[in-house]
Amino acid sequence: MSPVVTVTDLTKRYGDVTALDRVSFTLAENRIYGLLGRNGAGKTTLMQLLTAQIFATSGEITVFGEHPYENERVLSRISFIKESQTYPSNLRVKHALRAAALVYPNWDEEYAQQLVEDLRLPLQRNVRKLSRGMLSALGIVIGLAARTPLTFFDEPYLGLDAVARQIFYDRLLADFTEQPRTIVLSTHLIDEVSDLIEHVLLIDQGRLLLDSETDALRGQVVTASGPVAAVDEFVRNGTELHRVRLGGTARATVRGDFGAAEHERARALGVDLVASSLQDIVVRLTTSSNGPAADAGSAVAADKEAVR
Amino acid sequence: MNRTLTVARMQFVAWRSVVGWPWAILLLSFAINLALFSAMGEKDDFEPTTGGLMSIYVVMFVASISAITMDFPFAIGLGVSRRSFYLGNVLHFVGQAIVYAAVLYLLAVIEQATDGWGVNLRFFGIPFLLVEHPVLRYLGFAIPFLLLGFVGIAIAVVFKRWGMNGMLTLSAVALVAVGGSAVLVTWQGWWSAIGGWFADQPGAALLVGWPALLTLPLAVVSYLIIRRATP
Repeated sequence: MSPVVTVTDLTKRYGDVTALDRVSFTLAENRIYGLLGRNGAGKTTLMQLLTAQIFATSGEITVFGEHPYENERVLSRISFIKESQTYPSNLRVKHALRAAALVYPNWDEEYAQQLVEDLRLPLQRNVRKLSRGMLSALGIVIGLAARTPLTFFDEPYLGLDAVARQIFYDRLLADFTEQPRTIVLSTHLIDEVSDLIEHVLLIDQGRLLLDSETDALRGQVVTASGPVAAVDEFVRNGTELHRVRLGGTARATVRGDFGAAEHERARALGVDLVASSLQDIVVRLTTSSNGPAADAGSAVAADKEAVR
Repeated sequence: MNRTLTVARMQFVAWRSVVGWPWAILLLSFAINLALFSAMGEKDDFEPTTGGLMSIYVVMFVASISAITMDFPFAIGLGVSRRSFYLGNVLHFVGQAIVYAAVLYLLAVIEQATDGWGVNLRFFGIPFLLVEHPVLRYLGFAIPFLLLGFVGIAIAVVFKRWGMNGMLTLSAVALVAVGGSAVLVTWQGWWSAIGGWFADQPGAALLVGWPALLTLPLAVVSYLIIRRATP
């Protein structure tokens, strides 16, 4: 099965600033991807490039086998819900939805109405008078009801209350199960979506730090705590990302291949092992990745030096 | 083609405000003029001509700018190509121009038939277009819409593509071009010749022919600019 998106050596520069630096990855069909990274990491830039909203400095982009620029066949199969999306000021919510209904070939009007009700969107209100949360809700309705084979959500929850966010996650998952498609979710609220995303793409300072299945990642990063000497001994088999010392004990976040044998070894050493949460993993990886040797895709290997 | 039509329809989703503003302003201007000239009392030898008709052209000019600055980011956000957006936007604007010009033409005919709405008011009749040919008369209403519309589109796409710096550069270039030609014409003493040329042009050429010739390159250049513009 050919990938939905293929990106090779993608670079985007704005003057002196390198927003994306030789990024390469592929997105497979019918999966939910988490595009994670700090503010200014290059997440929005990446999604704007994939939807041909902006132009790459260099590198290759293929979406559904073709380049998306001015390509109606490709563009009509993508929806990109951008956090900073603006709407013409003379539109009411119902107008924005009608416009979306005209544009997307698979638009599901009934579903859109249901979402409007669930998220309590005021249809008659002018888009300029919407609160930040309501603007996000409008984007969510458009993104879900568009039913496009490739959907990008760029921080779709900004300003949304916890209830609305939960409705979004529930609807997204239910709809995904019913009508599988490729979804890219760019988010800061990693803990909230960690059960939702199947694959993690982590970018930092324009570089791809991590491209991994979420499940595989979970077992790979653990927090080891115990006497300093024992922890020192244990982390020799992995990459130490972070360490806190408290008197004679240490707590280290370690990345490596932790199978049953490693757990046995930890027990023998008197080291306590706890699997890190996805959020912890992301925080540790991004804060320990300032090494200049970091290379796209394999940056983690260089982290050892950066930490010490 | 399909997507082009979609964009044109998309820009009409809030059709009340799209159609409402130009005609509400024109109606307001007309009502004020009518009231004013009725109050002045009728004199048979006095046939007032107002500039009130200009209001609808000004509103449409402003609308053509905001169609790019506001609808373009929205349309691109919904996954429309730049080509489809541009063609749809042009269709949307030209469609309005064709219909609006027909309505204005009709109003001008009514104005003539009713002796200037009973008070000798000349509001819809264009004074210096002294052609009776109906097609030219119609075009006299329609082509200025197109010229102003495409000037607005051209300005807006420059802004979208190059931002504030683009606008300042464009203003500087325009200033140098206009100022430079003024200096050149004055230095060479060509003013009277130019005045004569304008005087020699028939009304139809000034209102239809030349604007139409200007509109075409503007449309082409705007298309080339928007193809690399970002929302």
